[in-house]
Amino acid sequence: MEDLKDLNINSVSRKKATYAHHLTRRKRDYIFIILMLAYPVLQFLITWSFVNIKSILNAFQVQDVYGNISWGFDNFTTYFDTLFNSTKHASGVTWINDTALVLLNSLAIGIVTVFISLPLSLLCSYFLHKKMPFANVFRAIFFLPNIIPVVALTFAFKISFDGNIGYLYEFMRFLGFPSGFFAKAPYAGFMVILYLIWAGLGYNVILISGAIGRIPKELFESAELDHAGYFKEFIHVVIPCIWPTVVTLIVIGMTNVLTLYLQPLLLTNENTAAVYTISMSIFLDAAGDGSAYGKASAFGLMMSLIWAPIILLTRKFLSKKYEGVDY
Amino acid sequence: MEDLNKAYRGQTTLRRKKDIGYSITKWVVFAVFIIYGASLLFPFIWMLVSSFKTTNEFDKNIYGWPKQFYGLNFIEVLKYEIDGQSILNMFFMSVLLTVLGTAINIFFSAAAAYTLSKFKFIGRGFIYGLAIFTMVVPIVGTLPAQVQMMEVFNEIFGFDDNTIFGVLFLYSGAFGMNFILLYSAFSSVSTSYLEAASVDGCGRIKTYFTVVLPQVKGSLVACAVLQAIAYWNDYATPKLFLPRGHTTLAVGLQILQEEAGGNYPQIFASMIISIIPVLIIYLIFQKKIIESTNAGGLKG
Repeated sequence: MEDLKDLNINSVSRKKATYAHHLTRRKRDYIFIILMLAYPVLQFLITWSFVNIKSILNAFQVQDVYGNISWGFDNFTTYFDTLFNSTKHASGVTWINDTALVLLNSLAIGIVTVFISLPLSLLCSYFLHKKMPFANVFRAIFFLPNIIPVVALTFAFKISFDGNIGYLYEFMRFLGFPSGFFAKAPYAGFMVILYLIWAGLGYNVILISGAIGRIPKELFESAELDHAGYFKEFIHVVIPCIWPTVVTLIVIGMTNVLTLYLQPLLLTNENTAAVYTISMSIFLDAAGDGSAYGKASAFGLMMSLIWAPIILLTRKFLSKKYEGVDY
Repeated sequence: MEDLNKAYRGQTTLRRKKDIGYSITKWVVFAVFIIYGASLLFPFIWMLVSSFKTTNEFDKNIYGWPKQFYGLNFIEVLKYEIDGQSILNMFFMSVLLTVLGTAINIFFSAAAAYTLSKFKFIGRGFIYGLAIFTMVVPIVGTLPAQVQMMEVFNEIFGFDDNTIFGVLFLYSGAFGMNFILLYSAFSSVSTSYLEAASVDGCGRIKTYFTVVLPQVKGSLVACAVLQAIAYWNDYATPKLFLPRGHTTLAVGLQILQEEAGGNYPQIFASMIISIIPVLIIYLIFQKKIIESTNAGGLKG
């Protein structure tokens, strides 16, 4: 009986000790967690919360010339008023006002990325996979634009078309382009699009090549046995198998509508209103004296609220296609 | 029997014709690849060759080989000053921001990724979900607010103007693509290593640095390389948050294009200077860079 009592006491004290040990361990865990996460979470909260809350407040704030602040929807109504009624044509495009042109340029970039750059990248990756000689060398070279500073890359591109020293200048003139490609509409827009295709294939090629590389060889072999040509193999084997990667790239392309600004900005040295995009006009407002902060924030907020759901819905809709494909 | 033979011969001819068609397509595509690849390389080779010409020689001989290699362009352009800051100084500013920015970013990304992947605590799912949400949902138009935030930052720390500390603060964000990549790397580290270290009396911090980090060395290097390239090439952050006269090479090069006007050999030399560091990194870590781009892209 005594022994049993001892056993019970021992068991309880062991339990207590384990509990105490457990507590200490948890405490130690929490101290470690706080130490490790304190700065990252704080930095995230400061930057993300401050920036987003302030941005929403900016959108509803109007500052007069004396610095007095009032609240309301003025930034939004002014934007729509300019969009539909402005007759400002500083861009040189006469059939559409400058505000609407910004939207059109951004959409054009999205369309080019999704409907030109992406199909070209898919074809490039497919042929590189078809025992193409020097395939890895090509991949490495195509990826170079992602490594080189964008300032140097845009410079290399525009200097090729320079009126004094550009080796492609005469060729463009032969095609009917007037001099000063980067300064005039619609040529400046065309040059930006040409640049985006030229410099944008490599990143997609790497992602798509990786996805094609994961397709089982048996699928290609059975396509060959069925005498499927390049086209049939590409459409019926490759595309369904790499569909998730294609959807990711479509989403990235659509996001470009909202986020792309550096390339047109650097190609035209900020001087050509004909190539302004949504985020380029916001960037220029942010780099200004602060008077257009409200306008830029309202514009960005509206565009995000309209375009982000479209991207998410497109992603959801596209993901359903080839949903059953598994290998 | 003869009919069968005919049919067989017909099929073989058809297949041969198809094969010829395939190989023609393949070689046409090969030729297109060579032209496209050359279009990417040629401007830089031309800039490199031309950067060794004197201005006079370049004016007379734009596309030819230089008569003699004039290396002074590189020295002169490094001495060239914009708003009192030399290109050489901008180069070092870029090195400093790239090294410190990458170190800070990887340090905090790894700390956050490890804690969230290996420790269970209240709010863990919320932090992870929030980090992913902010990466997936694009919000534009926040740049003015970011400028205002940095004004507050400078005020709190008593800086008269933007400084390198502000840029480093922005670069130190831990919940980006590196977080995702490292989270996945830490998840694959077996917990038995952590338990063994704990039994051996190894504390959590010591376990993290001596047991866990060495196991994800490959992922850390890959993330660091990609991050370093991104910071070296970054134009927008230093343009907005560093004052002229204390800026980086990327921003300086854009100003130089406008200021140095027709002195092409020197402008070319400055471009080559900006490319060399990233090109060296690319040549050394090419496989890792491509692998990580693949992994990051797919997970994004």
